[in-house]
Amino acid sequence: MGESKELSRHNFMQLAIWGVGGLIGAGFGIPAIVYVVGPSLQSQQTQSWMRLGPTSKVELGTPTLFTVTIETQTGWITNEQEISVYILTNDARTYIAMSNICTHLGCHIRWIAEQNHFFCPCHNGVFDASGNVISGPPPRPLNRYDVKVENDQLFVLVGG
Amino acid sequence: MISKISRWIDERVAWRQVWEAIFLRKVPKVNWFYTLGSASLFVAINQAITGILLTIYYVPTPDHAYDSVQYITTQVPLGWLIRGLHHWGASAMVILVVLHMLRVILYGAYKYPREVTWFTGVFLLLVVIGFGFTGYLLPWDQKAYWATTVGTRIAGTPPIIGDYLLRIIRGGGEISAVTLVRFFGTHVWVLPASLLLLIGIHLYLVIRNGISAVPKKGE
Repeated sequence: MGESKELSRHNFMQLAIWGVGGLIGAGFGIPAIVYVVGPSLQSQQTQSWMRLGPTSKVELGTPTLFTVTIETQTGWITNEQEISVYILTNDARTYIAMSNICTHLGCHIRWIAEQNHFFCPCHNGVFDASGNVISGPPPRPLNRYDVKVENDQLFVLVGG
Repeated sequence: MISKISRWIDERVAWRQVWEAIFLRKVPKVNWFYTLGSASLFVAINQAITGILLTIYYVPTPDHAYDSVQYITTQVPLGWLIRGLHHWGASAMVILVVLHMLRVILYGAYKYPREVTWFTGVFLLLVVIGFGFTGYLLPWDQKAYWATTVGTRIAGTPPIIGDYLLRIIRGGGEISAVTLVRFFGTHVWVLPASLLLLIGIHLYLVIRNGISAVPKKGE
């Protein structure tokens, strides 16, 4: 376009065609990206307090396993998912709730009563009763859930 | 810099020659009815783009087809737009292709030396109708189900072969998961491949033979 102050008819048409073409291209391209990427970025369902069971089931000083079934929504499918939670208390007043998911690569850990620790069978990760790493590859302690007691019933905050 | 690169490429692939043959070819003085073919092509490209995008979420099974379509329409960002473009584009496609055909008939543009262009056009029309028929079932709602019930029944009306035809199209005695997947497979693989091939031949012939002029009085 450098040489012409006045836009020739030919150049104008050329410019218009490329411009309109570019607009149409963007009109498809941008929605396509939003459409493909969008659901991946949508946040998960909201959190809610789920009832685990009575506090009387928890043994003092020993992590006790509770399971709770929650509904999860993936795409258009509603699933029931079982979540396992280890509850530990040393004084029957304060409780901690630990996830049974190993912080290394997501395998399920299990409480070994005889050896007094959690053990992950995948890569021999070992955690103590309150979830701290004793040995093996896990990079950090077991994840915890918020926990509360109402009328001698244990609740954990799940989801999100 | 850019012109240097484009010259380097052009020297090896001669794309400028191709470009000129397609976009800078000489055409007779014509009217707006001559844009119907390009309009059909544009909508066909729209259908291809939006169709590919729809398959990212659509699942062609009786368990998931309806829900996945609802998911696209109500949950996926701009899903309503993509589905809407595909839905309305389908109707636009049929209308444009028929108008395009009428123009060719009324202007006598199917005559020598353009008969083969016309033949491929006839098959293209059939492919477009095939797209419409198979695509209509895919949302798997009541309208889709009963429209396909009726449509396949019509295929079942000829004597002797009718019953076989109906069973072949449905993939069995009734409309089922088998019907849904074969309609899906036809819609996204068989017909697009045929369409691409036929459009290729059609456009090659349009460029090779040039387009017909508007006929004059007494011609």
